[in-house]
Amino acid sequence: MHQSFHVHHQQAQQCDSFLLHGIIDAHADQHLEEVVRLASAPTVQLDFSGVGRINSMGIALLLRSIKTLKHEKQAEVQISGLNQINSMLFKMTGIFLMAREVNA
Amino acid sequence: MRIHQEHGPATMVFIGDPHNGCAAKAGNGGLFPDSPHVQERRVSGSSDKPELIDELLTLIGDADQAHALLCQKTALMVDEMLENALYAAPRSSDGLPLFQKGEPRQLLPDERIRLRYHFDGSRLALEVRDSWGSLTAAQVFAFLAQNTAQTLPEPDRAGRGLFFMWRLMDQFYVSIRPRVETVVGGCLQLRPLTC
Repeated sequence: MHQSFHVHHQQAQQCDSFLLHGIIDAHADQHLEEVVRLASAPTVQLDFSGVGRINSMGIALLLRSIKTLKHEKQAEVQISGLNQINSMLFKMTGIFLMAREVNA
Repeated sequence: MRIHQEHGPATMVFIGDPHNGCAAKAGNGGLFPDSPHVQERRVSGSSDKPELIDELLTLIGDADQAHALLCQKTALMVDEMLENALYAAPRSSDGLPLFQKGEPRQLLPDERIRLRYHFDGSRLALEVRDSWGSLTAAQVFAFLAQNTAQTLPEPDRAGRGLFFMWRLMDQFYVSIRPRVETVVGGCLQLRPLTC
């Protein structure tokens, strides 16, 4: 079954947390744009514990979103909840150069 | 507990003409046994992808963490292979993509995409062939080189899907008959976990 992608947002004073669910591919485009739009705190946490597959298009969308969060919103981006394969993809594509992995 | 997962990029066999001896070894006899258990599926459109991935995940099962990791890799590889065939391969006469990624699509009347696989309990062979033959050898090598380079990550770097296949598969091959057919395939090994 195709897991449609969706995002749950929690806001605290110094941190915007986004819990991501489903498959991250071309269909996640608008949801990730919404993440960027909603983020306003100095720290943005992206929790991938509900994410299954992230394909190459999903990686491109994540790179674009994280780049915007860092450079246009001056946010520190933190990542948690990666499964094995997604952690490998993040290493291979340099996402960890822009965002730090933290424990959930 | 540490889990064995990292290994080097796959040995890549590049095949210009699938009718020569090298192609027969790498693309047919090499990874796919002469067995009735080799499965082949015709793809009719983008909506087939989730069902095909589920079919493979059910076949592999999730008996333990090693199988779960193989499932994660398999889902990604089939996703990338089918995305390439559905969206990157179809090109106009001047080389422009005919379809945008994410756009639902059915195959054109004279277009063919086929998925072939075989799992023997420890090794999964996968292959997707399209009837475009639009990829070139130069593009494959350029994509792998660009994505390997240690530069700052760029969102729109081309060929990331092929790069993932090359890095994650234990063997990887590309066979091209220009303007006729592209075959992308390889195998994934079930790897026991080390503590």
